[in-house]
Amino acid sequence: MAKQTPTGQTIIEVKNITKTYHLGEVRVPALTGVSLVIQHGEFIIITGRNGSGKSTLLRQLGLLDNPDQGSIFLEKVEVSKISEKERANIRLNKLGYIFQEYALIAELTALENVMLPAMMLQPIKAIRPRAISLLSKVGLDKKINNLPRQLSGGEQQKVAIARALINEPTVLFADEPTANLDSIAAKDVLTVFKKLNQEDGVTIVMITHEEEETLYGHRVIKLADGLIV
Amino acid sequence: MKSEYKIPFILAWKHIMRANKWTLSLIIFFMSIAFINMIFVPSLFNGIIDGFNQQIINTSTGNIFITPRGGQDTIPDSDNIVSEITKISGVAAASAELLVPGTLNYEGKKGSWTINAINPDDEKMVTNVSQKMIEGSYLDVSDIDQIILGQGIAGTGNDESNFSPFDLQGVKVGDTISVTFGAVSHELTVKGIFRTKFDSTDNNAFITQETFKKINPQYAHEATKIIAKIHTEGEENIVIGRLDALNLPGNIYSWEQASNLMNSVSDSFISINVILSIFGILIAAITVFIVIYIDISTRRQEIGILRAIGIKPYLIQTTYIILSAIYSVAGVMLGTGLFFAIIIPYFNFHPFVLPIADAKLLVAPGDFIARMETLIWVAIIAGLIPAIVITRTKLLQAIWGSK
Repeated sequence: MAKQTPTGQTIIEVKNITKTYHLGEVRVPALTGVSLVIQHGEFIIITGRNGSGKSTLLRQLGLLDNPDQGSIFLEKVEVSKISEKERANIRLNKLGYIFQEYALIAELTALENVMLPAMMLQPIKAIRPRAISLLSKVGLDKKINNLPRQLSGGEQQKVAIARALINEPTVLFADEPTANLDSIAAKDVLTVFKKLNQEDGVTIVMITHEEEETLYGHRVIKLADGLIV
Repeated sequence: MKSEYKIPFILAWKHIMRANKWTLSLIIFFMSIAFINMIFVPSLFNGIIDGFNQQIINTSTGNIFITPRGGQDTIPDSDNIVSEITKISGVAAASAELLVPGTLNYEGKKGSWTINAINPDDEKMVTNVSQKMIEGSYLDVSDIDQIILGQGIAGTGNDESNFSPFDLQGVKVGDTISVTFGAVSHELTVKGIFRTKFDSTDNNAFITQETFKKINPQYAHEATKIIAKIHTEGEENIVIGRLDALNLPGNIYSWEQASNLMNSVSDSFISINVILSIFGILIAAITVFIVIYIDISTRRQEIGILRAIGIKPYLIQTTYIILSAIYSVAGVMLGTGLFFAIIIPYFNFHPFVLPIADAKLLVAPGDFIARMETLIWVAIIAGLIPAIVITRTKLLQAIWGSK
């Protein structure tokens, strides 16, 4: 499922990154010097209290934002100082990102949402079977033509997972994917993640608030005040 | 075709097909109203100018008119000339008019006006005065000692709101009035009163050539003006070219050369039209811009998501250009439908009543196309600007607004 990187090989290396937000004249340090290494095939859980810097860290890793200082290497290539165009290209080809709020395009069906990123790379005819297969894998084979508003929160999150996987990413990032779901839907989504990691070798980095969800990961990284503790 | 090029078309089409129908309808309705606003004012002014022009053509000069050569008071042998003119290709009808100044006297009220001696059968084919009778009836070719008066001569009698000391103050059909040409006076019976709304015509009186011949036999077969109606308006110069070949004893003009006053009125209206059109276009453009801008700006998060999943900015911008173009084309189509199906027919039945003419709405194809293009371009620019702004802002700001 994921692009093949030998298990145990470093995919991401983060060296002492910092990030400060500016709210008017107030400076809010979100990351104050984070370093970490992520190996291929890992399922990493990031936890911490609100404001600890979890989402900020994930956005830096997912190339949605740039750190103020420090470096991020993806497959040994520094990606923290490249242009937005290059980052967009890496996001498209190598990374999958799942938002807490699902972030689906409201006017596209589940299938069309999943196919959309792949249309940048391959003909529609070639993508369709794969998109259907991914939706089937997350248990939505009967709802491929439903619009997001016709799906439950858990189902929408599964569509977002399938969309994140359509271009066979090297790493899948998930920002509190179960935060808006009931416990049954949350367990369902986590089971999908676990299967993807165990059966397909997809490297996953997931943020969660829930203590019991940390059990799904190989490794738990706890953040407090912008630092790994 | 590269697969990525299809993305903007797919996204724009899905937006249109699956967006909230009320919102979509409202946007298109606003577009159509803006478009109607853009074409209404020029159409009204075109209608007013056309109304003026038709008044000149239909009540005074025809499409083409012939006047005596320099040094001559009349065109001789007018009956034969009319006959020759009507044989020319493109000419529908012609009529000789002998305009002479006369003094009309009714119960002590008198004034001087132009009396027009005509052949009613010919005149009916060229002018529409015969259709503008408000009392009595038009002249017949055999009428002797009868006269029809423009309302500017007959006056309105006891109607104080329109009282004028310079007319005959309420002459009625059947009344007898005295007409004096030079030293010769004659009693005529009023057969009808007409109102064309064109002042220079409404201050005329008409009698038959037979009546005038009876009073002044020396002017038989002479005319001071020959007017001609042509089959196709706009071909005046072509027909004038053919008439020139006849070497007629007169000067030939098109109706546009008839009146400097009316030309200056038309020029003034054209200037006002241009100024109002600029404001109309500006207001419509701002309306369209705001509507599209708000619609695209509310899709900020969606644009952010598209960027986050790796869709190239130019594809995102193209999506919203296509979307804006679809909105504007739909608005133009709806506006055109409403304008031609409801507004124009309404004003055809209820024209603007102006003192000099009744004005309907007249759409000039050039104006229509120019305004259509303007609206579509404004909509495209209005869609493109926020799309560019959002695709250039920080990704997190595009998705979440403030982070």
